[in-house]
Amino acid sequence: MTIAEDLTARYAQELRGFGASLPDDFARGAEGVAGVLHEAQLEQWARAGIDLANHSLRSWEAAAEYFRASPGIARALEFDGLMHWVGLATALSARSSLIAAAFLKATPEALATLSPEQFEAWSQQGDRLCRGNWKSIALAALYFQASPGLFASLSLDSVGRLVDIVDQLTERSYELATTCLESAGPIFARLSPEDREPFLRFARAVTRASWADTRLYFERGPKLLEAIAPAQRPAFLDLAARVTLAVGRQGFPLFADAAAALASVEPADHVDLLAFAARLAPGSPQAAMEYLKSAPFVRTRLTPEQMRRWADAGVEILTTERNAEGAEAFFRLESTRAEEMMRALSARVELTSVNTMLRMYAKALSGEQVSVQSTEMLVDKNIGWMSEASATTEGTAIYLPPFVNTFEEQAANFQVYKVFTTHQAGRLEFGSFRYQWLQPGTQTPGSLLERETKRRAETATVEADGAKKRAEATTSMQRFFNLFADRTLIHGIFTVVEDTRVDAYVAREYGGIRRWLRRLQAYEAEHRPEVRTMGLREGLLENLLRISLGRPDTVRWPHALQAHLGRAIGALRVIEQDGATVQDSAEVSAAIYDIAVSIPNILADVPEGDWVMADEEMLSIAPSMPGGGGEGEPQMMPNGEEVAFENPPQPEFRGDFKPELVQLLMKLKLQQQGAQQDGVTAPLTKEQLMELLENSAEITINEWAEGDLASSLGMFLSNLEKEAGTPAGDPKQKGQQPQQDQPGGGGADEGELPMRIDYFFYDEWDFRAADYRPRWARVGERLSDEGDDDFYEETLRKYHGLVLETRRQFELMRPESFRKIKKLEDGHDIDLDDAIEFHVDKKAGVGPIARIYSRRNKVERDVAVAFLLDMSASTDEEIEKQRQKYDKDDNDDFDGDPRKYFQWLAQRRARQAIEPPKRIIDLEKESTVLVVEALEAIGDAYGIYGFSGYGRENVEYHVIKDLGEPFDDRVQRRIAKIEPIRSTRMGPAIRHTIHKLNEYDAKVKILILVSDGRPQDHGYGRDRTEKEYAVHDTKQALVEAKRDGITPFLITVDKEGHDYLKQMCDDIGYEVVDNIESLPRRLPTLYRHLAAE
Amino acid sequence: MTTTEQASGFKQIQVEDFRITQEPYYLPIHDEVALFEAAYDQKVPVLLKGPTGSGKTRFVEYMSWKLHRHIGNVDEEGVPLITVACHEDLTASDLVGRYLLEGDDTRWIDGPITRAVKVGAICYLDEIVEARKDTTVLIHPLTDYRRLLPVEKRGELLEAAPGFLLVMSYNPGYQSALKDLKHSTRQRFVAIEFNYPPRDMEAEIIHMESGVDRAIAQDLAKLAEKVRNLKEHGLAEGVSTRLLVYAGKLMAKGISPRRACQTGVVWALTDDIEVQRSIEEVVTSIFDE
Ligand SMILES: Nc1ncnc2c1ncn2[C@@H]1O[C@H](COP(=O)(O)OP(=O)(O)O)[C@@H](O)[C@H]1O
Ligand SMILES: [Mg+2]
Repeated sequence: MTIAEDLTARYAQELRGFGASLPDDFARGAEGVAGVLHEAQLEQWARAGIDLANHSLRSWEAAAEYFRASPGIARALEFDGLMHWVGLATALSARSSLIAAAFLKATPEALATLSPEQFEAWSQQGDRLCRGNWKSIALAALYFQASPGLFASLSLDSVGRLVDIVDQLTERSYELATTCLESAGPIFARLSPEDREPFLRFARAVTRASWADTRLYFERGPKLLEAIAPAQRPAFLDLAARVTLAVGRQGFPLFADAAAALASVEPADHVDLLAFAARLAPGSPQAAMEYLKSAPFVRTRLTPEQMRRWADAGVEILTTERNAEGAEAFFRLESTRAEEMMRALSARVELTSVNTMLRMYAKALSGEQVSVQSTEMLVDKNIGWMSEASATTEGTAIYLPPFVNTFEEQAANFQVYKVFTTHQAGRLEFGSFRYQWLQPGTQTPGSLLERETKRRAETATVEADGAKKRAEATTSMQRFFNLFADRTLIHGIFTVVEDTRVDAYVAREYGGIRRWLRRLQAYEAEHRPEVRTMGLREGLLENLLRISLGRPDTVRWPHALQAHLGRAIGALRVIEQDGATVQDSAEVSAAIYDIAVSIPNILADVPEGDWVMADEEMLSIAPSMPGGGGEGEPQMMPNGEEVAFENPPQPEFRGDFKPELVQLLMKLKLQQQGAQQDGVTAPLTKEQLMELLENSAEITINEWAEGDLASSLGMFLSNLEKEAGTPAGDPKQKGQQPQQDQPGGGGADEGELPMRIDYFFYDEWDFRAADYRPRWARVGERLSDEGDDDFYEETLRKYHGLVLETRRQFELMRPESFRKIKKLEDGHDIDLDDAIEFHVDKKAGVGPIARIYSRRNKVERDVAVAFLLDMSASTDEEIEKQRQKYDKDDNDDFDGDPRKYFQWLAQRRARQAIEPPKRIIDLEKESTVLVVEALEAIGDAYGIYGFSGYGRENVEYHVIKDLGEPFDDRVQRRIAKIEPIRSTRMGPAIRHTIHKLNEYDAKVKILILVSDGRPQDHGYGRDRTEKEYAVHDTKQALVEAKRDGITPFLITVDKEGHDYLKQMCDDIGYEVVDNIESLPRRLPTLYRHLAAE
Repeated sequence: MTTTEQASGFKQIQVEDFRITQEPYYLPIHDEVALFEAAYDQKVPVLLKGPTGSGKTRFVEYMSWKLHRHIGNVDEEGVPLITVACHEDLTASDLVGRYLLEGDDTRWIDGPITRAVKVGAICYLDEIVEARKDTTVLIHPLTDYRRLLPVEKRGELLEAAPGFLLVMSYNPGYQSALKDLKHSTRQRFVAIEFNYPPRDMEAEIIHMESGVDRAIAQDLAKLAEKVRNLKEHGLAEGVSTRLLVYAGKLMAKGISPRRACQTGVVWALTDDIEVQRSIEEVVTSIFDE
């Protein structure tokens, strides 16, 4: 019997009564330790196990783990260490045998990274998690179970910090604590060693700031980190931790956003970005993160160097101005300063910033009412134009790409826009769309009629075979294109030819832009596709295009076909002559077409040396129309594979050219304007239109579902018709260009006109940042709905006396507009004072001229006033009820006499039965009626507007009566329809009213805001309760009004609002009205004051 | 002509003696010369209608020079021309005349219209709408066939001398309810319409008046055409021939075309920054640096 067997036998008795496997575990353990321990130690070893097993009900399980782990441990540690170890376990089992078991079981593996001296600290970490309840016991056990894995990537101390986090989480959720602890091992194992500590530090910060985010962090953090340049991850995490300490709950979301932002920036740039963010962090941690978040966007606009200069301006705000909120807004890009700075630094030019100017420029050049819009809008219309990158026009508007970033300097990019616009305006000015069938040109003999006869003869034979008969051409352009079998080819040629003509005109007429035109032409010529990869026919066009870009040096062409190219160039030169018209373009295109079709579209098998560049001879080709078809030419076509023909791509500044569609649009427009009713022009038939669209080379068929061509065309046609129906989008306003939208108008049939909304954008004032938030609020202007007929008349009847009184008061104002002018040589009256003075002077020998007369001069009233009514939901409140609040004392005044009280109550009820309780909005409406009556009496121009809405995207602006609009029963009905709607975003509504007043021509301008004095809207402030932002923005808007020479005045229909509004109106006219009866007394005085010149 | 040579060296001319002695440069745009001659012969008052700087004043000067042979009783130097620039405070006395105190006596002084009536001059009331409406009524009796001027304060009626003709100018551009010509007034004149000349003619005028070469004059005329396209879209009035001549004169003195246009055209036309920029872009498109 071995020592171990002996030991087992001796303790067999004591091992009974526990789990069935315990004796076996003991036996195996004894066997394992027998070789290492001597006898006395063995006894001690066994005794410790037995004691452990006896410790509590289930502690035998721990004992089992003890026996199992012992052999390995005994070999690794001194005997003392072994005993210390089991001692720790026994102590743990006082908490729970489960914990002790987990500890014992994990030890052998933990030994790989932990020294025996650390055992105690280790066990304490687990112990700390145990709070006696079963959840904490399970967690502590889990801790030991997970420990070996954690030690593989973290030091004992670090794990300690993790335990801190887990411990903190347990106060909120054991489930969360468990999840985090479980996932920690794999997470840290995957992180690179340098990142582990920082990761942990940030985790700690997150847990403290917002415990629930810990889960998100553990889930997403590692993945988010992957996008950061490896070397920068610790720095980023530390920054995030620092930020979180300062900003609390926002910490993790900021981290996540910043990480996502960095993911879209080149990793190589992360160093600089993070270094800069670290610079910002001490002054404003928030700004540091906002900076990172904005980085990708800023990068699309600015070079790294420019971005540095931009960011420095933000730092200025932080350090010099000591305005952290301002810096945050700056880096969040919610700041006008930030935008302007970026615009100034960036080489890129945005269409939005030059749009108005280019529109006027294009109008000046073309003499037409063109608008300038973004190509995105044209593409959205789905009427045949597909490209957003290049400029174009459809006859009424010039479409330009949303931004230009071609060159490195802003000024150059602006010039690019100018060249774009000049060329497109040139198409209008020089008549690219005015082609008229058989109208003679100035440079070319007419050949088209002959061609048509020939073509008709050719196609007649085909048609006889049963092909469907062609409808008559709808437009001149179509008739011209009908002459050619290959419409794609003729369209391509006509485009090159006509653009050449326009460019030649532009260069001749506009000496100042010529240089930039040449530069852009050169730029385009250098970015052309390789000729040798094209079919020959396509190559011919490509070379003509290069010639027309003024770069014959870029021509590449097979030597053998030089004569063909030469003749085509000769023809092209014709179109460059002064005086050439679009009619000439048609002739020249036809001639070039003949040359092109004589060349097969093959990938020419021409040896390297046989490709020529344009030589002297080619450069000096004189303008000449080619003779009949080039017979007598040696037909020495190269060999090669035939490829499908495609027109070479258009240079960006020339863009899409679709004369056929434009002429069709014009025709549709005429038709919709009723021009066909004169009986001269027959209305277009559906067949004609379909035929045009089907054949036109200007529409890319494959854009549509192939099987369903007819319905696609139908839809396309209805888009075109819709387009023809809308007038050229040219709002009269300057500065603010509204964007139109037809909400819910998608399926609107004719009959019901969808409500038209014009959108305007306004900045808002962020008082914390001391800066505007650019284009922050969108105001939708619409015509107000009409209510019933009676309201207006009824109000007049109800306030009959008041109305008369008000009118009288206002009429009294009129004579005041006569001004006495004194010191005249001649006039209606003699001014006694002056006359006496004159005589005295005369005797004294001075004052040779008798300026003693006076005269009453009629001064024309030139006043415009805009009333802006608050239509927010809060105006639904009853004024009575409020008054009741203030009158509470009165209510107590019944001396405990119930009869008096009931009397009072009955009276009140009776009053309300006849007259329902009055709401703020009712007072607003009734006052409006009074005001209208008064103003009609005096004859001043006035507008009435209402506002409401929800959120900064949806400020509703209702026009009840526009300035200058005559007063009629429709206006009456609109007044009747004034009702409480939603929120109160005052600033934007005021700004839009300012805009309206600015557009109106009057010497004295007044803005009267009638409200309940509570600006409030979703997002109009940091949170729902914050009012300061709203108040400040409203105040700022009123200041803007003053700056524009408008006198703002506030009428508040609410006692409560008093103090609240007052604070923002210290230097602005202000009046509280809680009773309509007081209005007529107040209004004239008030108005006289305001309208005084 | 009665001129008084003053010691200080300037020339003082009595208004009624002012005659145009040298042929003014005037390029006829349409049939306005023939129309005016016919009206003059028939003693029909003339209203010159058109925007500022379109050549109305120059035309009257030219006609006053040209008409000298139509008239027998005055010397060969042309019809005297008396011009009155109208303004808000122009009173009837300002036009007709008034008493002045001289010592303890008073002396009557003829107003310009009275002088014109007496000597048979062309009386040119420039920008007539600027004058007060009661002032314009004063001229009504002068416009019918009797051609009488009532001088109320003296209780006289003056009959116009043979060469007299009443001519007024009127700019319909800034029409507003306030400043419109009364119909009763308007109906007493034949109206000759003035408009900015077509490009080539305007170029010729600019060339002749300013001395710039024809190519530059052509570009200036082109600029004018483009800017006039903006009328009513940010610009109250198109650029006048006068402004173009000014710009041309600056260029003739060596100012660069772009700069000359900026000061002579752009800034003179509008204060709106956005409109200014748009026009400047048109300028830089037409004129190279
Ligand atoms: N048809 C013309 N011929 C010659 N000069 C002209 C002509 N039209 C305009 N001008 C030039 O324009 C300037 C302004 O014309 P002016 O007669 O003063 O305009 P208006 O009286 O209509 O305001 C003139 O001084 C002259 O230089
Ligand atoms: Mg004048």
